Amino acid sequence: MMRTSVAFILFTLLLLAGAIAHLSIGARVIAPRTVVDAFFHFDPRNFEHSVIVRLRLMRLCAALVTGAALGVAGVLLQSVIRNPLGEPHILGLNAGAALAVVLTSALGLSLPFGRPLIAAAGAAALFLLVLTFSSSGRTGLTPMKVTLCGVAMSGFASSITATVLILDEQTLLAMRTWLAGDLAGVIGETIASAAGAAAVGFALALWLSPSLNMLALGDRMAQGLGVSLLKTRLLSLLAIALLCGAAVSVAGPIGFIGLVVPQLIRRLVSVDLRVMVPLSALCGALVLLMADIAARTLFTPYELATGVMTALVGAPVFILMASRMFK
Amino acid sequence: MNRAGLRAVRFSSFSALVRPKALLYLAVLSLAALLLLSFGLTHGSLPIPASAIGRALFAPESLTAEARYIVMDIRLPRLLMAVLCGAMLGMAGAAMQSITRNGLADPGLIGVKEGCSAAVLLLIFQFPALGPYWRPLIGMAGGLLTALLVVALARDISRPRFILIGIGVSWAFAAAMGVFMTTADVRDVQTAMLWLAGSLHAASWTLVGIAAAWTVPAFTLLLFTARAADVALLGNHTATGLGVRTSRLALLRVFAPVVLTAACVSCVGSIGFVGLIAPHMARLLLRGGQTALLTGSAVLGALLVLAADNVGRLAFLPLQLPAGIVISLIGGPFFLLLLWQRRDRF
Repeated sequence: MMRTSVAFILFTLLLLAGAIAHLSIGARVIAPRTVVDAFFHFDPRNFEHSVIVRLRLMRLCAALVTGAALGVAGVLLQSVIRNPLGEPHILGLNAGAALAVVLTSALGLSLPFGRPLIAAAGAAALFLLVLTFSSSGRTGLTPMKVTLCGVAMSGFASSITATVLILDEQTLLAMRTWLAGDLAGVIGETIASAAGAAAVGFALALWLSPSLNMLALGDRMAQGLGVSLLKTRLLSLLAIALLCGAAVSVAGPIGFIGLVVPQLIRRLVSVDLRVMVPLSALCGALVLLMADIAARTLFTPYELATGVMTALVGAPVFILMASRMFK
Repeated sequence: MNRAGLRAVRFSSFSALVRPKALLYLAVLSLAALLLLSFGLTHGSLPIPASAIGRALFAPESLTAEARYIVMDIRLPRLLMAVLCGAMLGMAGAAMQSITRNGLADPGLIGVKEGCSAAVLLLIFQFPALGPYWRPLIGMAGGLLTALLVVALARDISRPRFILIGIGVSWAFAAAMGVFMTTADVRDVQTAMLWLAGSLHAASWTLVGIAAAWTVPAFTLLLFTARAADVALLGNHTATGLGVRTSRLALLRVFAPVVLTAACVSCVGSIGFVGLIAPHMARLLLRGGQTALLTGSAVLGALLVLAADNVGRLAFLPLQLPAGIVISLIGGPFFLLLLWQRRDRF
């Protein structure tokens, strides 16, 4: 218990520090004191204050929403398929979401419920395909099969996306920067609708976490303890799709956050999902903030796409975990 | 003729076992490739009648300058490049699958492609003065290093883990390529973009020459080791007992596919999945040993890339899809099919 509360306090403090650092970095570095001042003593005539509140705050919010959503999605995915390699990027959810968004945009459909829900529907559809496909056969849903299947489906979905983009120049122009997985140029409207979807997903995840805890004991045991397997799995799928959709709709496909974060928390804090879900939201936001800061400062004056930065760190982690898992 | 349909062919002191049926299939497939080639030559944004093509080959003067330019300098190198690349990738896949005894192994799938591209990008950005001749060499070095890295990380190459680690490595290299692309000089990025998008439309006689120069030695190497590879399929102990130097064989048979893939990637950019599809189709159609598999995969690979290029070039005129994308549209489901076949194994 002690450990959990310490972790909560620590992550919150780190997140605050990270947020201030994130706000102070940019084309011109603003002193952290000025950043704090901009919130508590906002002065509309001060140029630096208005830069922070009007421009940089948007990017910070986008990073927070995306990171938190991806972290929680990773935790849920891993507990549903009982596989520490579960991650929206690896299992193809990101690719499915991107495909859905690109397709609807190319067909000129402007659905009333906006980008996050379209992305969520795409992610859910692809993940369902992966699940049905990989649970076939005598061995059932093994980690190796899910992972290979996810990679294959994800590759397939991305090649369809590429085809659509090549054939439809207008969509390509609209989607190009978004598909690279970058936080630059996000607008407030997108963040607001994504935050809504992410909040629903997060609430669902919190509500499901006790049942998911029991699910970790095995199907039989969980059923004996009164958990409805199908309901729990379907609802977690819904939550995962919403969270992924929210993340993808803000920042495009960003990978590997959901791989690193749950692993970190499982090692350092606890395996109890009631703790892991909120903590991984904090930790995911923190990791994405750090990745974004690194992406913008490591190679100045160039700015990397945030997704490139997370892949740079995440791919070796994936290799390490895969070689440990499959002896 | 024995029960397997094999027939002995003797020529002074040389002899070989051939299967007439396999030869027949190969002939039919080659014919189909030829037909596709001539179809590709005559169709395009400017249709040229087949008779004109025939004349162009034997008496180039009879064509108008425009048509001659289109046929000889644009379409022919492009289609030949497609044939060569398909053959290279098909053979690479066949060799890789037999030496790893892993039906999912394909040099393109385990990161060789990305390692090679990253190396070539480094070349373009760091030494822009060096010409395209250096690209296959540098790409090969990158591809080989990547392959070594994957083998070292995975240790056992006959397990599915090998593929998974290869995929992880290819993600890492793709990210590294992203870094190179964002941090380089804009003019060099343009060169790099052209090369990366590659597809076949940039093919020229120079590139065809480069590709051919790497195909021939690698193909010979693979053909000469084909018999030993047949034996090696029996397992390391048996093969050693029968007189095969397994470690040297493994070295050669990993080296050749990587060279082939890297040469292909450095000439036309990334085309995936051919090395996965062609050998499986060849095994289905031709059966028989490594020699049949190798030649069959080469022909089928060529056929596949030719067909993909023709579809990509003609289906959505005036827009063109790169052949690599057309193939990955087929390749994704094919990979899933292979997984489905192995669903009880892992």
